[in-house]
Amino acid sequence: MTNDSNRLSAWAAYAVVGVGALIMLAPFYFMFVFATHSRTEIFSLPPPVFFGDDFFNNLKILTERMPFWRNLGWSVYVAIASTVLTLLFCSMGGYAFAVFDFRFKNALFGLVMGTMLLPSFMNMIPTFMIMDMLGWIDQPRALYIPGAASAFGIFLMRQFVATSIPKDLVEAARMDGCSELGIYARIVLPLLKPALGTLGLITFIASWNNFIGPLVVMRSPEMYTLPLALRSLQSPVNTEWGALMTGSAIATLPLVVLFVLSSRQLIAGLTAGAVK
Amino acid sequence: MGQTTRWFSLGRVFTCLLPLALWLGHARAQQLLTVAAFPAVDEIVRGAIPRWNRLHPNVGIKVVSRQFSDHHTAMTTALSTSFYLPDVMALEVGYVGRFAQGGGLEDLSRPPYDIRKFEARYVPYALQQATSRKGAVVAAPADIGPGTLLYRADVLARAGVSEAELIESWDSYVASGAKIKAATGAYLMAHARDMKDIVIRTGVQPGEGLYFDSRSNVLVTTPRFVRAFELARRVRQHKLDARVGAWSNEWSEGFKRGTIATQMSGAWLAGHLNNWLAPNTKGQWRAAQLPDGAFAAYGGTFFAIARGVPAANKPLAWEFIQMMTLDREVQLGAFKLQDAFPALLETYDDPFFELPIEFLGGQKARITWRTAASRIAAVAVHKQDAFADEVINTELDKVLERGKDITLALADAQRLLQQRAHR
Amino acid sequence: MKLPPVLRLSPEWAPYVLLSPFLILFLVFGVFPLAFSLFLAFQAWEPTSGLGAMEYVGLNNYAFALRDEWFWKSLKNTAWLAVASGVPQHLVAIPLAVFIHTSFKKLRNGVVGAYFMPYITSTVAIAILFSSLFSTDYGLINVFLQALAQVPGLGWFLPANPVDWLNDPDNIKPAISMIVFWRYVGFNVVLYLAALQTIPGDIYEAATMDGAGRLQQFFHITLPGLKPMIFFGVTLSVIGGLQLFEEPFILTGGRGGTDQSGMTTAIYLYRMAFDFNDFGAASAMSWLLFILVAALTWVTHMAFRPRGASA
Repeated sequence: MTNDSNRLSAWAAYAVVGVGALIMLAPFYFMFVFATHSRTEIFSLPPPVFFGDDFFNNLKILTERMPFWRNLGWSVYVAIASTVLTLLFCSMGGYAFAVFDFRFKNALFGLVMGTMLLPSFMNMIPTFMIMDMLGWIDQPRALYIPGAASAFGIFLMRQFVATSIPKDLVEAARMDGCSELGIYARIVLPLLKPALGTLGLITFIASWNNFIGPLVVMRSPEMYTLPLALRSLQSPVNTEWGALMTGSAIATLPLVVLFVLSSRQLIAGLTAGAVK
Repeated sequence: MGQTTRWFSLGRVFTCLLPLALWLGHARAQQLLTVAAFPAVDEIVRGAIPRWNRLHPNVGIKVVSRQFSDHHTAMTTALSTSFYLPDVMALEVGYVGRFAQGGGLEDLSRPPYDIRKFEARYVPYALQQATSRKGAVVAAPADIGPGTLLYRADVLARAGVSEAELIESWDSYVASGAKIKAATGAYLMAHARDMKDIVIRTGVQPGEGLYFDSRSNVLVTTPRFVRAFELARRVRQHKLDARVGAWSNEWSEGFKRGTIATQMSGAWLAGHLNNWLAPNTKGQWRAAQLPDGAFAAYGGTFFAIARGVPAANKPLAWEFIQMMTLDREVQLGAFKLQDAFPALLETYDDPFFELPIEFLGGQKARITWRTAASRIAAVAVHKQDAFADEVINTELDKVLERGKDITLALADAQRLLQQRAHR
Repeated sequence: MKLPPVLRLSPEWAPYVLLSPFLILFLVFGVFPLAFSLFLAFQAWEPTSGLGAMEYVGLNNYAFALRDEWFWKSLKNTAWLAVASGVPQHLVAIPLAVFIHTSFKKLRNGVVGAYFMPYITSTVAIAILFSSLFSTDYGLINVFLQALAQVPGLGWFLPANPVDWLNDPDNIKPAISMIVFWRYVGFNVVLYLAALQTIPGDIYEAATMDGAGRLQQFFHITLPGLKPMIFFGVTLSVIGGLQLFEEPFILTGGRGGTDQSGMTTAIYLYRMAFDFNDFGAASAMSWLLFILVAALTWVTHMAFRPRGASA
């Protein structure tokens, strides 16, 4: 193998990966560009490639057709509530599984892991009926309470506790007279910070993007979260594409920003979970 | 604090709060009636509020409006557990059938409603459409959609086709289409499906539904379906349809640019064309009866009361429905403002019908539509109608796009529908 | 803050208390719905009649589902989509991961980030965007294809006319697959990158010294080393592909497209419940699909099981 062929194949690698990355990012670019154009401009030949000036007009149409800021607010509220509850319950549960020995521990954990393999559609209909019976239809709690029992979350937490928190530390704290809840709150939680960060990110993103959940459970436009609001804008009659693009861009932007700031941690956390 | 002192303080607090409580209590005696609807029925309801306030000054109206299909999904959900039920719900005709079989709506033919007292005042077919197989009337008709043929007079003129020639028979309609295509390049219709939709509605026997009869036997191999498919295929073979779906971007572009010469639809389409679909074509459209002496209904709104509504609210809900459907002022108001064709027969002598419609070049089209309304035959509704709709459209697509044999297509549809006719 | 002795947890009770919030929610919202769904599959229920209207019908719903042509059509669609979107994901992700692993040091995070970004965004927003990109007359994808067809040499296999992606039943499936591929290829790149890091570099050095070429090294060192991750990734793709819902749902306006060509089983069972109001049949179908998913997962497991070792 000569140096030239090495260099050639290196350049080929760069080219392929580079083009691929552009293909990955191009749709985002166009989403933001289309958000600044009106409906007729989007659907014209040639399609717009640079930013236009219809952003505020689109925003006006958007907010006229939907209680958009309310929907954005609900998305934020549900995502935060979901993240807080999930972090709390999964860290407690993961700690319990990792450090303690109790009856049915393995069976329970196996059961929880088993449900991770369950497809999402299994719960669609019974969840609707349960929420219907509880009177939780159109309530945000129907979105963030069930999700707090995340099998992936408890798996991640248990993994992290098992590998990073030695049992002797817990024993020592116990002998020092620390209460059980105290050990959890003052020793375990601070050590869990990286895992909490990763799980928090994953949970926030999943909640923000959740579509099937709200689709099944929400019925009033004022209570919709963003994905559902966007879809109801996509009506077959007189779709306002400019406004729709603007809404999509607004729905996507926070996550893009969040991701750019935290990509390393997010990816590392996911792979740590995957390479079990 | 000693015991007595405490009682006195409480007593003092109580006496101060008492007038407040009484005032609040009185204010709450101002009842609120919830009405759930969708665009543009929500506007119609809001438009009727001043009249309601004159009749019932103590009762407010709260309008809950959702997008069309979301509204009906929400009503299904509300009916399933009686949570969040509105006192009155607006329903489009396509959904009345489904809800009628379910038993979740009040039977308005029974006391204390006795809607049959008013039977003669409604357009006959409309009340029929809200009647379940067991004879229960589950909703009252508010507006109807008499089918009409809207056509571009200027395009027809350029092709040398007269209105009479256009609507004489289905065959002459198709032949005119060929002439129009040859002379102007415009398509006769948006999609061959539109042709199928009308022809299957002609020749429905009394008591029959569109796809199922009263015993849930499947009717899709009857002659009206075969003829509908044949005509649609002929339209496609001669390239007379623009192959655009209703309400798509291309559909509205077709109207704006004059590449679609005719459209069969409800009378309300004229209003949509004027408002946002193709306002630039003002004055160039005319309305005619459907070809071949056909009369069909496209759409229609009804008001219903759910069984789960608290008993205290039902009388008021019924008052509201009576106002919306039997009050001449309200019915005409909806007609004038929102193009909602009245279901109340006694409005039909109003001079408003004689007024020329600017969008249609000054034509007094409402008279045409009034005639059509009285000649529409009722078509019974069935729970599986929505599904049957899709199945037939799918089979038609196969006939049009892949050249599937019509008998085979209808037989396949028959089989599919038979499986679920009784579910 | 020290709690009074009577309220303090003993180490014996601690795990139960710590686990209980999770467990309660899990049982109520994770396990109970499953049992309820199984119960529903044996009932006939018309939602507008209210909750009390459930009627036991035995195996009727299952029999109906198995005889229903649309159910089988949806299974076929789902299988097609799962394979067409899943296989390219892995075929492309593995070489990509290898390229990135060997050639990108400084820019690696940026590049990986770019590939991973589609995965974290809202499916709804993306599908809406792609609906406009796939528009027949004005969409960027057709514009791009038409431009490419002008290039001599490429014109012969590219379509001459604008492709009707969204309305033609033959084209909606590739359109959906493209979106799913775009979304998940980065996720798989990340998985494979992580796995590549577990293959020790000395093996490659030894192989090079033995005279093995790059391609040979790839097939004899890299691929076998990646096997566990391939198994994991393929399992995820199988499960994910079989439960495909959001992309086709948005792209076809919630109905499954012309000739139901884009209707996956997940969409069909949603429609059975919420469009056609047949909750019993929908529940029965979800269980039938679940059995299929479980069977296929087991088959994948058997196919990738390390030879000689037990599962």
